[in-house]
Parts: sequence; structure tokens; C-alpha cells
Amino acid sequence: MRKPLPTPLESVLPILVAGDEPRVAQLPMDNDAFAGFYERSARFLWAYLARVSGDPALADDLMQESYVRFLCAARPESLASQGEVAGRKYLFRIGTNLLRDHWRRPQSASIEEIPEEFFAAAGDEGQSDSRAMLGPAMKLLRPRDRQLLWLVYAEGYSHREIAEITGLASASVRLLLFRARRKIAALLHAQATNQGRRP
Amino acid sequence: MILGSCVREKEVSELLRQGHWPHACTAELHAHVDGCRACRDLVLVAASFQKARAQAAGAAPLQSPGLLWWRAQLRRRNTAIERAARPLLGAQIFAFVVTLMAGAAILGWQVRQGFHFTTWLAELPRAIHLQALLTDLLPHLGGGLWLLVPALGALALVGTLAAFVASEKQ
Ligand SMILES: [Zn+2]
Repeated sequence: MRKPLPTPLESVLPILVAGDEPRVAQLPMDNDAFAGFYERSARFLWAYLARVSGDPALADDLMQESYVRFLCAARPESLASQGEVAGRKYLFRIGTNLLRDHWRRPQSASIEEIPEEFFAAAGDEGQSDSRAMLGPAMKLLRPRDRQLLWLVYAEGYSHREIAEITGLASASVRLLLFRARRKIAALLHAQATNQGRRP
Repeated sequence: MILGSCVREKEVSELLRQGHWPHACTAELHAHVDGCRACRDLVLVAASFQKARAQAAGAAPLQSPGLLWWRAQLRRRNTAIERAARPLLGAQIFAFVVTLMAGAAILGWQVRQGFHFTTWLAELPRAIHLQALLTDLLPHLGGGLWLLVPALGALALVGTLAAFVASEKQ
């Protein structure tokens, strides 16, 4: 049988595509399966990282790192048995840990240093309904509150799933979310009132 | 139940998750949400986040998944190599420590046998005929004895480096 021609990358890294690779170098997905998974999940992971961090450039970096770690750490058998939903949850968990590590580093920018245009840009389409403009309200929340709110209301994860993703106890997630939702709702209402007063 | 929350929040959440709010809901639920602060907040917050998600996802800059796949492959391989090299380094350290201990033991034993280290060191140049060696070598160096010391030093350094590189490659 004819051997398929190597792609440009394969010719650059011939050693990596040799048939007798040790088992340890095998990734949990082949290139095509990963491309499909990436197409279906990357936009939403980026949205989470960008809107929670408030920094699109940081989101680019963290997204790349999340996928590389995902591929390095995930076991093929667990992905096969639990499916794409579990894979996606695992990916969000990696992204969440990377965000947490970023915030723990002393040199990381605080939310006050992030240009307001990024948050404001989210409201471009929703000018007609100013209450739905999330950006300015997000800016006033703590990073962990932004994370929890995004995971439950944007991604639709349950409290138990969020506990798995963030490493918090399920009861804490419930209480923190209740407070965070009350806070952001008040901010959104206040925003709407201010918009209504403007000429 | 948390104080200030509503018993119907779960129902409203499920409808929001499935995209059934507001068009596929009963008039009774609409009336409840209008009059209930907790449910109204829930609807407002969920709608805001879903809108933000759709907008941000549309602006996401996607990269080549192939490149990420190769990066992961490379990293996994490097990790495997590092893991394999770890016992080798351990063996090198162990061998070095054993050699040092053996040397110290022999020296201790010799001293106990009446061996005088300072006398032996003073006698060393005569024992290896250093005087004769230098008289033979000096005319060839053209008086450049000062060259000999750094040259020997450099040789020792290169030797150490070569040994290090060889052990790293292994
Ligand atoms: Zn209610």
C-alpha cells in the first residue's frame, strides 16, 4: 500500500511521526479529531477567557496553553468513554486554573487597568436594550464572581459541574453565585436607570 | 433555600437553558416573573450573559488546530524524555558520592597506618621527576612558562565540558 505523503509539518518533525513512537508520546486524539473538537469548542473557551479576564490578548495565550495542556494531560480512554461534553468541561477547568494562576502572579494587571473599550464593545449590538450591556457591570465584579456567573449563565453549567471546574465546594458555589447574581443584577438595573436619565 | 431566592427559579433556569424563554412559556409563568424580583433578576442576568457569549464567540480569533496538536505532541515527548533522564542523573550523583566516600575511607585508613599527608605532598615533585620534566620542556616553550598554566587550565575545562555534554546526550 502506498504511504501517504507527509504534510509540511511532518517533514519538519519527521521523528514525531515515526511509526515506532513510544506509547508515552501518543496524544488522546488524532489530528483530525482534535481539529473537529477545536472548531466546536474554541470560540466559547475564548469568550470565557476574554470576558472573564477582560484581556483579549491574554485570552489568546491562555486558550493556546489550555488546548496544549488538554492534549498532554487527557487520557484517550477517558475521552472515549465520557465523550465531548466531559472533554469540554475538562478544557474549561484547565482554562479556569490558568486564569487563577494568572491572577495570583503579582505582575498581572488588575481589572482596573483593563481598557474600558473592551468591556464596552460587548454592548455595540445591544444598544437598544441597555440593561443587557454586560461589560461595564462585569468590570465592577470580583474575578471569581465573573467566572462563576459566566459558567452558569453563559455556559449553562450546573452548580455541581461548576464545583468540579473551579475546585470549590458545591455549597459555596451556590452561595457565591447567589450573591454575585444579586450584585450584577443591581448593577444592570442601575445602568439602565442611568441610561434612561441621559438625554 | 437561600433567603431571597424563589422556588420557581429552577423552572425558569431550565427554560432559559433550553432557549424556551420567553416564547415557549405559559402566561402564568410570565406573570410570576414580572412580579418576582428573584426570577426577574435571573432572566435579566441570563439574557445578558448569553448575549455576551454570542458576541464574544463571534469575535474569537481561531488558530490552526494542527499547530496546537504538534505543540502538544512535542511537549509530551519532551516530558517523557525528561522523565527517562531523571534516574540517569540520580545514578550519576550516586556514583559520585560513592567515589568520594571510598576516597575518604582509603585516606582515613592510610592516615591510621602512619601515612603523613604533608610529607607525601612535599615529596611528590621529586617522586614524579618534575624538575627533569620542566628542564626538558622550558627551552621548547621559549621562556613562555606562563602559557603552560592557562593552557592546562583550558584543557581541563574543555575536558569537563565534553564529559558534561556527553552525559547530557546520553
Ligand atoms: Zn420567582
